Amino acid sequence: MASETAQPGFWSRVQRASVERLHIRLESLLVLVALSAVMAVLSPYFLSLSNFLNILLATSTIGVLAIAATFVIGSGGLDLSLGSVMGLSGVAGAFVAVNLGWWSPLAVLACILAGGIAGYINGQLVTRAFVPAFIVTLGMLGLARGLALVISQGRAIYGLPPEIVYIGQGRPFGVPMPVILLVLTAIVAHCLLAYTRFGRHTLALGDSEGAARAAGIRVEHHRRIIYTLSGALAGLAGLLFTARVNAGDPTAGINYELTAITAAIIGGTNLFGGRASILGTMIGALIMGVLQNGLTLLAVQSYYQQMAIGAVLILAVFIDQYQVRKESRV
Amino acid sequence: MTSFIPKINRFTLAFGVAMALCAATSAKADDAEYGVLMKTLANPFWGAMSQGVESGAKGAGVKIFEQAAESDQAAEPQLNLCNTMLERKPAAMITAAINSTNLLPCLKVAQEAGVKIVDLDNNLDQAVLDKEGIKVTFHIGSDNNAAGAQGAEYLVSKLGKDAKGPVLVIEGLSGNITGEKRAKGFADKLKELAPGLEIVASLPGDWDRGKAASIATDTLTAHPDLVAIFCANDCMALGAVESVYAAGKGPQVTIIGVDGNSDAVKSIKEGRLNASVAQLPYLVGKQAVENVKKALAGEKVEDSIAVPTLVLTKEVIDAGKEPMLEYVK
Repeated sequence: MASETAQPGFWSRVQRASVERLHIRLESLLVLVALSAVMAVLSPYFLSLSNFLNILLATSTIGVLAIAATFVIGSGGLDLSLGSVMGLSGVAGAFVAVNLGWWSPLAVLACILAGGIAGYINGQLVTRAFVPAFIVTLGMLGLARGLALVISQGRAIYGLPPEIVYIGQGRPFGVPMPVILLVLTAIVAHCLLAYTRFGRHTLALGDSEGAARAAGIRVEHHRRIIYTLSGALAGLAGLLFTARVNAGDPTAGINYELTAITAAIIGGTNLFGGRASILGTMIGALIMGVLQNGLTLLAVQSYYQQMAIGAVLILAVFIDQYQVRKESRV
Repeated sequence: MTSFIPKINRFTLAFGVAMALCAATSAKADDAEYGVLMKTLANPFWGAMSQGVESGAKGAGVKIFEQAAESDQAAEPQLNLCNTMLERKPAAMITAAINSTNLLPCLKVAQEAGVKIVDLDNNLDQAVLDKEGIKVTFHIGSDNNAAGAQGAEYLVSKLGKDAKGPVLVIEGLSGNITGEKRAKGFADKLKELAPGLEIVASLPGDWDRGKAASIATDTLTAHPDLVAIFCANDCMALGAVESVYAAGKGPQVTIIGVDGNSDAVKSIKEGRLNASVAQLPYLVGKQAVENVKKALAGEKVEDSIAVPTLVLTKEVIDAGKEPMLEYVK
């Protein structure tokens, strides 16, 4: 039985290293690899560079939103307005570029700014008015969607300038622009959350607000920054969406917040805060992307795909809880 | 932590079994496959279209591969589906785009790969396609303009050309060309045939039953003497029917929908909905596949194929003599 005593040591070392250095859980990575392997066996079309890029492209908008969700949930908050704010931002950008005819970079700025302002309002209300985050962001979900419909008068805004469309449809070196932007955002966000004081404070806040306050963290100030960041990221997602479909669509992003939260949770974010990792969230988003892509290639109807994702979510949290309870018993 | 090893083993075992099973049933590539991308299947119209596609494929002896977005507002998910479907290297893509721009990036890639593109149900705008340099093999669908006009003709035949009164038009999803054409076809024909019937409001109902119902309620409040409602699809017409009957104005208001779906037919038989300009989605789907086969064989196919529409009323359905009724599903 010598090997059995040696191997757990090795595995736990790998596990601990992945948790400590890269801040991901090995299980979710294993699920992603296994799922990809199954899809590759099942469908001869799955394993190709272009399909790999397809999966990343399909994950780009949701991926950016999931990064936002990870920050907020990691800090013990919740942002249900992500999808609506994304829709509002896209419409704001399209309005600036098409209806006002302003310079394209200003339209890009308008997207991010619209999202950031919505997020800032969320943060103010949560920290100063003492309304629970669930209620504030649920209210913002309605406010932002309504405002998007008002600005666009209920109609999608078409005819964006080519520079904006390039953000969604361009392919420098064969890699789609949204994928490049997602990867860059994820790297920056990962470093921010995992290696900086800002990130440590965020997770400390999610772990125990009281302890964070006692340790001298400016809790309210920090929360406002996180909600503003979350909104600005939703703005970036809105820009990607608008540029991809070449239309400022006021109905963009309906239910996207739930998909984004799902990705974060599958990736190992604790729903009540204190534990979160951007790499984990990206793996969560990719698990959903691979599942959807593979099932589509296998000609499985989209309704079953939604069921599959729901099942994966529950399974992921079950495994997580099982693991946590086992560890606490030891 | 020690529990990790047995878990891995169980996992590996299950995974191995799954792989073995899959390898046995693994599908082979087929070059004659047609990709069919619908808006959604959560609507009887697209269900009938899908049946037509399947029967057309069976008749023509070709393989199809069908997908649909989860709702007819899921513009980005539909684009993702389209990109994924191209990985199967279909010979043709028959697509019903959610709006006139969302699938364009995918269709561009398809065109570069030499895939024949078909615009199912006339959702693409030729002007936009020209600008993007995309050439579709053909557009197919009902002539939506004519369908709207047929609705106006029915209304005038029922009320007489000297009729007067306010009329409400409920359009489809904003920016969707199908709904716009129907509303315009109706408005133009109505103006020509009975100028006394005035369109007091033309609002987007987003193809949605509930939204149409509230628009109808609001308009009835503003114009209690409303004489007719034209809706760009049946779902919305059925919503409007509920509002009109709830307001007790059933006999006063003539309600016309477009599509001829099974719920609408039921309502017409019950004497609630007055008429529906039936598209024949079954026929559209069938002819789409048949014509793609022709085009792939190098035969000449028209750029725009118009499948006829049929005004369904209680009389027409009860008489049952109309030969095209066979295609109303």
